[in-house]
Amino acid sequence: MKRLTAIAALAAIATATACGTTGTTSSGGIYTTIDGAKQIDASAPINPFNPQGSTFVGYDTMSLGWPKNDLMNPDLFYPGLAASWSATPDQGEVVIHLRPNARWSDGKPVTSKDVRTSIGLAYTQGGSAYTVNAGAAGAAADVVIVDDKTVKITQGANRSNAFLRNVLSTVVVPDHVYGALLPAGFWRTLQDARGTGPAADKAKTEITGLSQKVITFSPREDVSAGPFVLERVNPGAALLKRNPYFYDSAKIVPDKVKVLNYTGNEQIWNYLVSGKLDSAPFTAVPAAVMARIKATAGNEVRKGYSPVAASMAFNQSRKPYDDPHVRRALAYLIDRAQVTRVASPEAGTPSIATTGIHGSAAKAWLGPGLAGLNPYKVDPAKADQELRAAGMVKRKGQWGFADGKPWKVRLTVPAEFSDWVAAAKSITSQLNDHGIDASVTTSADYTLYLEELASGKLDVGFWLMALGPSPYNIYQRLYGSANGWSLLAGRLTHSPPGKDGNWMGGPEKIGGVNPGELTNRLNLATPEEQKKIVGTLAALTNQQLPVIQLYDYVNTQFVNTSRYTGWPPHDSEALRLPAGVWMQLGMIEKK
Amino acid sequence: MTVTAMLPDGQGGGSARATLRRNFWRGVARVLRRKPSRVAGVVILALFALMAVVGPMLYPAHLPRDDDALYAPPSLAHPFGTDFEGTDVLALVVTGSRYVILTGLATAVITVAVGTALGLLAGFHRGRWDTVLMRVTDLQLTIPGLPLLLVLSTVWKFEGPLEMGLVLGLLGWGGIARAVRSQTLSLRERGFIEAARGLGLSTPHIVVRELLPGMAPYIAMNMLIAVTGAIYAQVGLFFLGVLPFDSNNWGVMLNLAVFGGGALTSAAALPYLLAPLLAILLLTLGIVLVVDAMDEIFNPRLREE
Repeated sequence: MKRLTAIAALAAIATATACGTTGTTSSGGIYTTIDGAKQIDASAPINPFNPQGSTFVGYDTMSLGWPKNDLMNPDLFYPGLAASWSATPDQGEVVIHLRPNARWSDGKPVTSKDVRTSIGLAYTQGGSAYTVNAGAAGAAADVVIVDDKTVKITQGANRSNAFLRNVLSTVVVPDHVYGALLPAGFWRTLQDARGTGPAADKAKTEITGLSQKVITFSPREDVSAGPFVLERVNPGAALLKRNPYFYDSAKIVPDKVKVLNYTGNEQIWNYLVSGKLDSAPFTAVPAAVMARIKATAGNEVRKGYSPVAASMAFNQSRKPYDDPHVRRALAYLIDRAQVTRVASPEAGTPSIATTGIHGSAAKAWLGPGLAGLNPYKVDPAKADQELRAAGMVKRKGQWGFADGKPWKVRLTVPAEFSDWVAAAKSITSQLNDHGIDASVTTSADYTLYLEELASGKLDVGFWLMALGPSPYNIYQRLYGSANGWSLLAGRLTHSPPGKDGNWMGGPEKIGGVNPGELTNRLNLATPEEQKKIVGTLAALTNQQLPVIQLYDYVNTQFVNTSRYTGWPPHDSEALRLPAGVWMQLGMIEKK
Repeated sequence: MTVTAMLPDGQGGGSARATLRRNFWRGVARVLRRKPSRVAGVVILALFALMAVVGPMLYPAHLPRDDDALYAPPSLAHPFGTDFEGTDVLALVVTGSRYVILTGLATAVITVAVGTALGLLAGFHRGRWDTVLMRVTDLQLTIPGLPLLLVLSTVWKFEGPLEMGLVLGLLGWGGIARAVRSQTLSLRERGFIEAARGLGLSTPHIVVRELLPGMAPYIAMNMLIAVTGAIYAQVGLFFLGVLPFDSNNWGVMLNLAVFGGGALTSAAALPYLLAPLLAILLLTLGIVLVVDAMDEIFNPRLREE
């Protein structure tokens, strides 16, 4: 470790940087932040495959590219370890050109072999482009090293237009550190796993059986291709120092990065109030706390597009939620603006209408068509009409079923999401005002909540939706596995309510339209076709209301101008990326 | 022959008991007057009892909200300000008191009933009864209450105060059972118990009429202390967010004030945090002051002073 430090210091001195930083001076200062994705676990291995690993995306963990925060195009990326890339129109083949001067923090060059090994390791974890499930859409079928700096990755027969972005999101680790985790004959086994039959099943088991070995692997030290490399980590913070071999070292200003640990949002608020953090990713903040944060010298807020929305979702296999009239009635009774004020005043905007898409993206996708959709403005009279149309009866000011049974709306949320709890309470209060017996129930934590949801135990719950920018990802939240449609071996199947995780329980066809099929087609459609499909799905969603879209999230980031400047502006495409990537893009300067 | 047979008409056992009762209550009044804090304790408990019984009737089933006054500061209209959706915090505390106090009482009754019954049984019968019951008690004492409740809350929704009280009570009787057993072991060797046995009185009579009255003060004090324990336990669980949501529950209020309102970071939600805290503090104080009075009422040595 000492020897490595000495080498690094010497190399840093030899490396002329724009700000004249060396490993021994501290003109760049220490940049302080938090990792929004995880808390620090000092005992976790320095391994990006470990969910708690002591590695930090954008600082010492590098991807081939960094996704831009675009409203519609999911394929826009900033270069990462990949200097450039090309893809065939159907994304059947992606060619990656690595940066010629990319090197690891131990001085070794970043090569195609590293990428191939990283892909092999990703297969052991499964998901996105690297899965052993035969026929999965958008899965890589072949990885070919063209030369030291060029890799060609080919899609399997079941194509998906998500392939390029999944490939570009590949986290790259050094082959000379991680390569030994892949047993001899791994690539042959992988080839066998892509088939069907007992031999393929055995191969699949072998590949996925490596998962735990990869996750628990603990390298002696951090070997990073990013702008920083881990120096030390303790329960309170992780300290990273400059990687003198980083390909764009001249752009990197801070000498060190300190990633502070936190146990909850309140701790992050306190860091911000005390002006400790140079930047902090999105954190839910109450209005009064936001005022205190803004009052701290140097603190500023950056807001931008966040492709996520909160919604109230129905289990349509439960009465009366199987009736669209009832769902519409509830939409007419909920004042979304008030719900947003109560729940997420700083990080949410009331949804314009239920479309399935975040409001900002909806304008881009639907254009003037958006105005033609029903905004479900608060209208108790219309709600009454809808409820009567559904056969509900009002007795002594309370709505109930026609047979005299009481109707109790039980809205469930995970207890740990304070904004959802507040939103749910606001909704139930509003419904109670209009004679609907509504109350909030909570699940102890999010994992349990999702289990309860998937098992069909809940009548109405909260659901994250509009996960853009990919239109397939957007509508998959409404017409995907949670609503019965799943893709197996290239074939789309629909399971009945209560089976295979179908808790939404919506109809397979609505007026001759199969929304799950349409959603699946988004995976292969051209941009023009996508627009058409999105228009159809938005109209259907607006009319049927499998969910009521409540508020669209606003990405709210915090920066402090006391020590550094050059922050991304409001609505920047880089805003949702870690500050380490901002540094790579040459954004952050010393004050 | 009994004592009553020797008394003139109209001055039988009934009137003797009445005299005893009168004297007892006079003693109680004297003990309370000795320290004003004890009177304060009784007043506090009476107020909370009244709040639990009558409080929820003073407000509509769904408390009114002011959409334009979220986290409003304290004022004449809202002495403790408003919550995240503009509901009066005082109204929430008052309407939420019934659940808290009912749970506390249910817990206390179950704790005392189970603990006393098992303690008396084990101490009086000794032998195998004692061995078995005390091993069960040891087992109960080793159960980590809070972690168990956290796990239980994932499968059981604890929708009523009695359910909550039942679980808390069943988790808290071990200490009382052990203490009652040791007292029983001591008392059963006394002369009056020997005499009762010699007279051929039945075991239930000896236990209920001879042993239990001697321990009643101790049991009563434990019951009140169990109420405070139950309040802490349930409020803690609600604060952790593992129990059903009810916006007027004191623990839920604390949770929402801290995690939703940022009460520990900014002053806006501070009244929302302090109101239930103050209620818990006052209720606990009332119980402690009354226990202090009870101690003197039942303890002959303290009374002689």
